[in-house]
Amino acid sequence: MSVHMICQEFKANLSELFTCSEQGGYQRIRTPYLFPDGDNIDLFCKIEDDLITVTDLGETTRWLRMQSVSLRRSPKQLKLIEDACLTHGVEFYRGMLLARCRPGDSLAAVVIRVAQASLRVSDIWFTFRTRAVESIVDEVADYLSEHQFHFQPREKLAGNSGRGWTVDFHVRVPARSSLVYVLSTANRSRARAVVEHVTAAWFDLNHLAAGPEALHFVSLFDDTADIWSDEDFSLVESLSTVSRWSRPDEFADVLREAA
Amino acid sequence: MALTNAEFASILEDNSKEINGGIEWTEDEDHSPAVEFRVEIHSDVGWPLFVRGSYNRYAGTLSYMLILKTDGRIYGLDMGKDHHNPECTQVGEKHKHSWTEQFRDKEAYVPEDITTLATEPVAVWEQFCAEAKIKHVGGRLAQPPAVQEELLL
Repeated sequence: MSVHMICQEFKANLSELFTCSEQGGYQRIRTPYLFPDGDNIDLFCKIEDDLITVTDLGETTRWLRMQSVSLRRSPKQLKLIEDACLTHGVEFYRGMLLARCRPGDSLAAVVIRVAQASLRVSDIWFTFRTRAVESIVDEVADYLSEHQFHFQPREKLAGNSGRGWTVDFHVRVPARSSLVYVLSTANRSRARAVVEHVTAAWFDLNHLAAGPEALHFVSLFDDTADIWSDEDFSLVESLSTVSRWSRPDEFADVLREAA
Repeated sequence: MALTNAEFASILEDNSKEINGGIEWTEDEDHSPAVEFRVEIHSDVGWPLFVRGSYNRYAGTLSYMLILKTDGRIYGLDMGKDHHNPECTQVGEKHKHSWTEQFRDKEAYVPEDITTLATEPVAVWEQFCAEAKIKHVGGRLAQPPAVQEELLL
C-alpha cells in the first residue's frame, strides 16, 4: 500500500466510525472515543431554527459520578472541567458539555470538539483515589498546598532504636511544626497492622516531641471508608493527636494550633 | 492492595446483602437531565458497599453500580450505551461490568438475566438486585420523576 493509498483509505473509512440513530427528540452520534472504562462516548444533536446544539446530555458527568465514592466533585475536579471546556471551546451547562454549530460551521468539527472535551473531562476519573493513580497522600498534599501550609513530604527520621521512619509530612507553621502520618488501607484486615506501624513510629520518634522545638505528632486517619475500629484510634491517641480526613478543616486547625 | 478475584466473588455471592427502606430519585449536583440515587448496603460480612443508580431519560441510559468504598466500582449494569472490551470486542447497549484482577472493572458482558428495557428502571432494578443477591426490604424504588423538557436545552 502506498502513502497515497493510506490517506485515501483513512479518509474513506473515518466517517464509518461514527454512527447516527434517533434517540428521543435527538439525533444520537455514537463516537469511537471511549470513557476510561471502555464505554463509548455518545453525543446528541438538536436542531433549533438555524442552530444545531451538540451535547453529551450530561452523560460524561453522569459517567464520572457513577464511578465515584464521593458525594460531590472536589474544587480541583471542577477546575479541571473548566479547563477542558476552555481548551475545546465548549460550554458546561447543568452538567452538560455543549457547543453550537452555527450556519457555515462544520458539524463534524463541532462534534469532535465536544467529544474531545468529554474525553478529557472523563479523564478526571484518573484523579479518583480508588483508581490507584492518586492516593490519599496526594490528596492530603493537595489540601496542604491549597491552604498555604509549608510542608516537606516523605521525610526520613531516625528513631531512638536506630531504625529509620518515613513520615508522610513535616508541616511547618509559625507556632510549632507537626509530623503527620496518614493512616490508610483498602483492606479491613490490614487496618490493625497499619495502626501498629504508626504507633511504633511515634514511640521510636518520641525524642522529637521534647525540647523547645518539640514536634507535634498527628495521626490522620482516612475514614472515608468504614475501616477503623475504636481500638485503632485508641492505640495512637496516647502518642499523637488523632485527626480524621472526613473533617479536613479540623485537621487544618490541629496543624495551626499545634502549640 | 487491590480487590482479589476471590474477594469479589465472595462479595457477589454474599446472600446477606440488604438495602432497607424506600428509594427516591433525586437531582444530581449539576441539575443535569439525569436523576440518581445512592443507597448503602448492609451485610453480615460488613464490606463498605453502596449502590448508585442513575437514569437519563433523554439519553436513554440507565445504570446501577455496586461501589466498594475502598476500590470504587466493582460491578454494575449499563443500558443505552455501547461498551468496548480490552480484547477489542463491542459488547452492546446492555452490558454488565464485572471485577477482575486483570482488567479491574473494564471488562463487560451481556447479562442474560436483564430482560426488561432501560425505559423501565424499576423493573430493571428488581432484576439487578436479584442477580447481585441484594435484598431490598421495607420499601421500593420509586419511579423516576418526569423532567420538564423546555428547561433542558
